[in-house]
Amino acid sequence: MSVDLQNRAAQAVAMAKDAGAENAWATASQGRDVEFEYRDGALEKVKDTTSRNLDIQVYAEGRYSNHQTTDLSPDRLKGFIAEAVAITRALEPDEHRQITPAELFRGRPADDLDLVDPAVAGISREQRLRWCESLDRVATDHERVISATAGVYDGTLNSASASSNGFAGTHAQTYCWYGSNITLRDEGEKRASGGWYVGGQHVDSLPDASDVARIGLERALARLGSEKGPSVKTSMVVDAQAAGSLIGRLLRPASGRSVQQGQSFWADLVGKKAFSDKLTIVDDPLIPRGFGSRHFDSEGISAKYLPIVENGVVRNLYIDTYYGRKAGMKPTTGSPSNRVIGLGDHSLEQLLKEVGNGVYVTSWLGGNADSTTGDFSLGLRGHMIENGEIGRPVGEMNVTGNLKDLFGQLELVGNDVYPYSQTLSPSLVFGGVDFSGA
Amino acid sequence: MTIRRREFLGHMAAGSAILTMPAFLQGCGVQSATAISQATPENPFMTWFGVDQATAARVMSELTGRGADAADLYFQHSRSNSLQLEDGIVSSASSGIQQGVGLRVVIGDQTGYAFTEDLTMPSMLAAARTASAIASGSAVAAPQAFNPLGAGDLYTTTVPWSDVGVDQKLPILKFVEEKAKAMNPAIEKVAVYWADADERVMIATLDGKLVTDHRPMTRLTLVVTAKRDGKVQTGYSNIAAREEFGWYSEDRILTMVKEAVDRTMIQFEAIRPPAGEMPVILAAGASGILLHEAIGHGMEADFNRKGTSIYSDMIGKKVAEPFVTVVDQATIPRERGALNYDDEGNKAGRTVMVENGILKSYLHDQISAKQYDLEPTGSGRRESYKFSPMPRMTCTFMEDGPHTKDEIIAAVDHGIICETYTNGQVQIGAGDYTFYVKNGWLVEKGKVTAPIKDVNIIGNGPESLKRITMVANDARLDTGGWTCGKNGQSVPVSQGIPTVLVSNMTVGGENVS
Repeated sequence: MSVDLQNRAAQAVAMAKDAGAENAWATASQGRDVEFEYRDGALEKVKDTTSRNLDIQVYAEGRYSNHQTTDLSPDRLKGFIAEAVAITRALEPDEHRQITPAELFRGRPADDLDLVDPAVAGISREQRLRWCESLDRVATDHERVISATAGVYDGTLNSASASSNGFAGTHAQTYCWYGSNITLRDEGEKRASGGWYVGGQHVDSLPDASDVARIGLERALARLGSEKGPSVKTSMVVDAQAAGSLIGRLLRPASGRSVQQGQSFWADLVGKKAFSDKLTIVDDPLIPRGFGSRHFDSEGISAKYLPIVENGVVRNLYIDTYYGRKAGMKPTTGSPSNRVIGLGDHSLEQLLKEVGNGVYVTSWLGGNADSTTGDFSLGLRGHMIENGEIGRPVGEMNVTGNLKDLFGQLELVGNDVYPYSQTLSPSLVFGGVDFSGA
Repeated sequence: MTIRRREFLGHMAAGSAILTMPAFLQGCGVQSATAISQATPENPFMTWFGVDQATAARVMSELTGRGADAADLYFQHSRSNSLQLEDGIVSSASSGIQQGVGLRVVIGDQTGYAFTEDLTMPSMLAAARTASAIASGSAVAAPQAFNPLGAGDLYTTTVPWSDVGVDQKLPILKFVEEKAKAMNPAIEKVAVYWADADERVMIATLDGKLVTDHRPMTRLTLVVTAKRDGKVQTGYSNIAAREEFGWYSEDRILTMVKEAVDRTMIQFEAIRPPAGEMPVILAAGASGILLHEAIGHGMEADFNRKGTSIYSDMIGKKVAEPFVTVVDQATIPRERGALNYDDEGNKAGRTVMVENGILKSYLHDQISAKQYDLEPTGSGRRESYKFSPMPRMTCTFMEDGPHTKDEIIAAVDHGIICETYTNGQVQIGAGDYTFYVKNGWLVEKGKVTAPIKDVNIIGNGPESLKRITMVANDARLDTGGWTCGKNGQSVPVSQGIPTVLVSNMTVGGENVS
């Protein structure tokens, strides 16, 4: 398969050159995805697909454009690429648009990232059904359950890239996810809902399906009787899963593009202490079985360990070659791999004890942040923290502030990492946070 | 990429849905279908996909070989183009072709789905066998040919996007940049993003219909960054529609430019409101986001047939004051959410969800319509051939009420008015929903006072409906390019509302001690 894809990518590059491009970069990919969804005791949906795509970036006469197609019939592909080159020529020249310099391909690591489990391709219909039944049974046994949907998602993704200046590389990974979402009868017309999913590249790394369903059921049960919490300025404990999404918001403008476009509160922060000394974030592309692991990024830049924030001091931003050249910054990588948050030494229970009173956030609902200023406001669901314990469930609340200030108020970091994500974060504790509710 | 989508599914409770800016039954009428199709000249869509009646019939027969209540072949070819202007030059373009066929078989509420991007007979037959594996019965009579239904006229174009070159579009981006820069010296950066698409779909159904639809789309976005007294602010505006090139008049563009600049500059003065519960006025237009999140998603019948929506047992009940009527209508010409036919091949229409305060109808696809023993409302939509359809909104709005905007503002002693939004989300079971207010104003003693920015607003759907105490007579649809996400599928939508007062909502802000 990878040989076919490599040939396809190389042919596309050759077609672009034939059509008059000076340089071209092509990625050919192919994936197989299977979905089983099972609801209330019966199989509801089976989806089984094989997809393909070709992506090509064209450099011609100091101009640049990128194109993708799923229509790979040879005659049409040739026409498509010729048109891509013609579109490129109709644009304006930009000296900063250049193919990734070959020196950035050097030093590509060869670590075994263990991203492919051959067992995934062999998962049978019976196995998927067994998982679904285990997930379903735990939920539907509960008296308050209105409906439970279990899902199993597995597949394989292969891609190969080639460039006119000598890049060649392949990437392959498998995945398998399963879990369930459960809806329970609550007061009046209200339904409490919750769920839990687990996943990984390897089937043998996944916990037992009924244990997964039990966590989902507990999470749904925890929502029963949820009420609007108070408007108050207090401490916030964010659980490891929700913390990963908050870190994602913090890092969104930490890019060469955002900074160069004047849309980032990270501008001018490199080398400076910008956040609490409890905050450390590293981009680590070489974690075995990591969700974001890779040997090279989408521009072909060889993967390397990249500190982003060390004890509150900003070390690096995510900088691709184009915006780096434009802003006079050295390229690192334009796209995050595994974002690893430095751990503290407290368990979640200890964090809650330390805090005493505050709000424990278990998930976000909507909200947004302004990348330029860092101002944010997010809806949340969680619990009140009362005397160091998880108290009554609350919702219909917002938390509002500024991301830069918030991560300056990071007081404690847990040791409990949420593992099913590209962002590996533990629970986080922030002081003096504005909540709005009743 | 695939992993990340799974991760997303895993994180979001089923039915969570986000709205952001930037899938029958009766036996088949084989006889009549055959008769009509024989009299019809070759369908241009069939030529486009290189598929004739006999091929489609053969694939349908394979798809329904193990039984089916309903089945469809969804052929799609989508060509999209985009251009980007940053730092004064149009230095990046992209284009994309998505072509494939989705094959679906439905038995009761069970769905088997497969797609292929290789439109050759062996590939389509293989995909059909894969999708048919959900069923274990015996073959149903599949049509020998399909009966072409008339093309819709909601968004016909004289010039398709494929005939509009980069050389024609480029001056528009330059014009937008020039006008934006000229509007205020504080503007440091201007970025302009252009998008257009021609999408052609052809749906062949087990009951013998052949539906074709050419769906154009375009969107123009302006982002400006301004600097004043060492502070930097970014704002944006966009316009979108199922339109053609000639739609971009100077007036339309200038209106958008002024909006983006105004929204940016006002942020230098803007404050955070106090945190907590207060009356919230929703300005006419984009505030339709309230309807999308507070009621629209909860009214999608897939959630209700499963009993997971807070609205599951409320049909026929009073949910709002008598002056509240909420509609989802696909038949508004050229709107971003407009559709001639839905993605199951049913005529798209107008569904009154709330009529004079009474909850009237869910939004149905064929699966839910069969379960409720109703006609589908033409609400079955999908992102592309890669997905099976489900009930979705199109253009969602509230009709005019008896009050005026001035009366509503005058009625508020201490609250806010919300004007522009970036995104929203809802939790279907509990009914809690949010929307993010980018720009708004404080309202004090019946007067609009200080500007506000960046606050999330959270409420509960049924409770907010009850608390709509005033509705003005200035309903309008927003012109922005909204996209609705549900279970990993994005579809274009429109929304609108008149000025409305919700007597109490929770506003994100600062706690004043």
